[in-house]
Amino acid sequence: MLPAGMISKENPQPIRIKFKKVGNLQYISHLDLQRTFEKVIIRSGIPAWYTMGFNPHAKMVFGLPLSVGCQSVCEYLDIRITEYMTFNEIKARLKTALTDELDVIEVYEPQMKLTDIGAARYTLTFETRGACEDLADKAKALFEKPVAMEKKGKAGVKEIDITKMIKSLDCRYDPETDRIVIDTTVSAGQAETLNPEMIVTALREQLGFLSEDILTEHYSIMREEIYNLNGEAFR
Amino acid sequence: MDEKYSSILKSVQKPGRYSGGEYGQTIKDLSDGRVKARFAFCFPDTYEIGMSNLGVRILYGALNREEDIWCERAYAPWADMEEKMIEHDMPLCALESGDPLSMFDIVGFTLQYEMCYTNVLQMLKLAKIPLKSADRTNDQPIIIGGGPCSYNPEPLADFFDCFSIGEGEDMLVEFTKLLIEEKAKGNFDRQEFLHYAATKIKGLYVPSLYEVTYKEDGTIGSFGPIYPDVPKRVTKRIMKDMDKAYFPDKVVMPYIETVQDRIMLEVYRGCIRGCRFCQAGMIYRPVREKTPEVLCRQAKCLYENTGYDEISLSSLSISDYTEIEKLTTKLLEWTDDKKVNLSLPSLRVDSFTKELMEKIASVRSSSLTFAPEAGTQRLRDVINKNVREEDLFRAVGVAFDAGKTTVKLYFMNGLPTETADDLLGIPKLASDVVHQFYINPNRPKGKSPQVTISVACFVPKPFTPFQWERQDTVEELTEKNEYIYQNVTDRKVRYTHHDPKTSHIECVLARGDRRLCRALEEAANRGFHFDAWDEYFDYDKWVEVFEATGIDPAFYANRQWGFDEILPWDVIDCGVSKEFFRRERDRAYGEITTPSCREKCSGCGANKLGGERTCCPQA
Ligand code: SF4
Repeated sequence: MLPAGMISKENPQPIRIKFKKVGNLQYISHLDLQRTFEKVIIRSGIPAWYTMGFNPHAKMVFGLPLSVGCQSVCEYLDIRITEYMTFNEIKARLKTALTDELDVIEVYEPQMKLTDIGAARYTLTFETRGACEDLADKAKALFEKPVAMEKKGKAGVKEIDITKMIKSLDCRYDPETDRIVIDTTVSAGQAETLNPEMIVTALREQLGFLSEDILTEHYSIMREEIYNLNGEAFR
Repeated sequence: MDEKYSSILKSVQKPGRYSGGEYGQTIKDLSDGRVKARFAFCFPDTYEIGMSNLGVRILYGALNREEDIWCERAYAPWADMEEKMIEHDMPLCALESGDPLSMFDIVGFTLQYEMCYTNVLQMLKLAKIPLKSADRTNDQPIIIGGGPCSYNPEPLADFFDCFSIGEGEDMLVEFTKLLIEEKAKGNFDRQEFLHYAATKIKGLYVPSLYEVTYKEDGTIGSFGPIYPDVPKRVTKRIMKDMDKAYFPDKVVMPYIETVQDRIMLEVYRGCIRGCRFCQAGMIYRPVREKTPEVLCRQAKCLYENTGYDEISLSSLSISDYTEIEKLTTKLLEWTDDKKVNLSLPSLRVDSFTKELMEKIASVRSSSLTFAPEAGTQRLRDVINKNVREEDLFRAVGVAFDAGKTTVKLYFMNGLPTETADDLLGIPKLASDVVHQFYINPNRPKGKSPQVTISVACFVPKPFTPFQWERQDTVEELTEKNEYIYQNVTDRKVRYTHHDPKTSHIECVLARGDRRLCRALEEAANRGFHFDAWDEYFDYDKWVEVFEATGIDPAFYANRQWGFDEILPWDVIDCGVSKEFFRRERDRAYGEITTPSCREKCSGCGANKLGGERTCCPQA
């Protein structure tokens, strides 16, 4: 951090906020999250740096956007402050302005650039009919061969092999909860991103996951960690 | 929300409507036994609309302030969600706890507009609570209604156990506490409780305690309480001193975008104007102001607790506030620095000034709206809308000076005494506004003006001087709309109008008596919902429902009601006397205006209710 006396409007101090977005907050879109944080910053009373102009608001840059239906314990938001305040104080203030399901984990000075994000690790948990060891093995095997899927992009629908973006994938059956659990690291960032929902879709389409009853069958996705382009834990 | 519903939430539009978990919500611990009554506060429309209602924000806070009451929220699920809920037998639940409404002690509905009645019934069905009061058992929730539509609660009489008439801050708390006491005694009997409550709680109307008979011509023959200890008329409740009235210092903060996603600061209650078509202007009498000091304190506190960067000064006609100058100056002292904008939902033409415009950001940025309501001075005198053409021209002049080019004008058609000239006056006034643009030397150069006229259909409402008036038929209103359209010749004028069919049904529901319950029940059985939304409102289906249940909608909408008839809403006393309405009705037909309450008291009777910082004479 800059020396206290040197932080000012002209020379604001960058701050990284690591937060979680879990439970009911998985249903809130990235756009709504941005709007929410504008108010969170105000009610926390952090001396955030504001953009000028007709509609001034705190300058915020988010890391990897999270899609609706996906939870995370590793979201990142960068802001700048115009007055000295300790990281602990910032964290404490944010805590009072947030809830258990959208909560601050850590506040620190950014070590890496948000544009250097290259991969993300997810846990996918399935409560699906017929979950067993055998099904888990089949699921793992599915991604060992190319899996062609349609991806909607700017230039229309194109066919891609999603396994090209899967860096690792492990799958097991948990007899205690009767669930299938996938631990996977996939490409994420500016160059290419694999939405983990694609993995869910592949399992639905090819192995019949979640196809019987919407009330008893469900899945959840948790973003566990983010890595930079060199595969180091993001800081 | 329960994990087992997660797949459903992932499959509907805007799941944030149903997930809850907002900052500022109230969660109470049920395990220590301190909560003695659970109250589900329902808004019978979407989350986005319901979360924007100031009344809900206030009452939610007022109830939760009590240690022994836990108030939660519920909204009408949108059609996609409703379908899933029915398909999977998922009951309607409150957002905070996720518990089904059927296990609450009290389920309250705020009734903001008539077209939401089918949503009320739909929500009861989804909650698996019997539609009719008479069919509910002792352990099922008490269903209470409130809000502006409860001033004529009769069309909903069979469905609600009781109604809170008037302002609910104190009344709902008293009612809930009484329920707690009575339940604690054991052997709780709901009908006995309702009877007891009707004698104890002022402003509580229990429809099942009244008997109505009808004459051969269909009008009401008699209307009165079954028991001698039940009040013959129920007088509305008001908060006498608005500075001392409870005002929430926090807000449940929606994650998804809502209609009023900002601080709403209630500057005063009531209205000094007496527009003769306006129900709100009558039922919220008398005017009671808050002081700028209190308002400023409340605004600052809300800003710090919510993080909203916009404050809307919300009252019926904000520029009538006696201390508007002091209030805006006081607010701007800190809002400017914090980059907080002030906005206004409504502005009267005659008080629209350059100074006010400069202070109010929302006026600065968006297009301007004025409501002359009628096309000629004659008809404006009839409805007591004291806006003169000069006032309008001066106001749009201010706007054009400031570089504005778009103006929206609100009108009504089908008003009492309306003639073809009055209708022609609507496009003419719009063209005159266009002309005002071109003769303005300060107008934005190189741009052309855009004037939109929006014409609503007049709906005669209970507790207005026009409560007895005949509403034009759908055909008449449609012809009038067409006539206005043909006479819009100015290319700079755009014309839009409301659907006369919706206004017709709205009128039937607004002036209905308890015989309408069977039509509403039938509508609920046929799955009606979201009738306030064009995409779901189906006029032909309503006609079928009325036919099937033997209701003649014209009896309620298109009939000139007799002045000595017993009105379905006579059982409610809103403070303003029937004699006043009658006098005002005659003055309307005499084209005589009535001064505002600040100029001169017209003796409406509302002063008997009391009130601080009002303009009423002492009763
Ligand atoms: S009593 Fe007089 S001043 Fe008060 S609301 Fe009625 S008319 Fe207005």
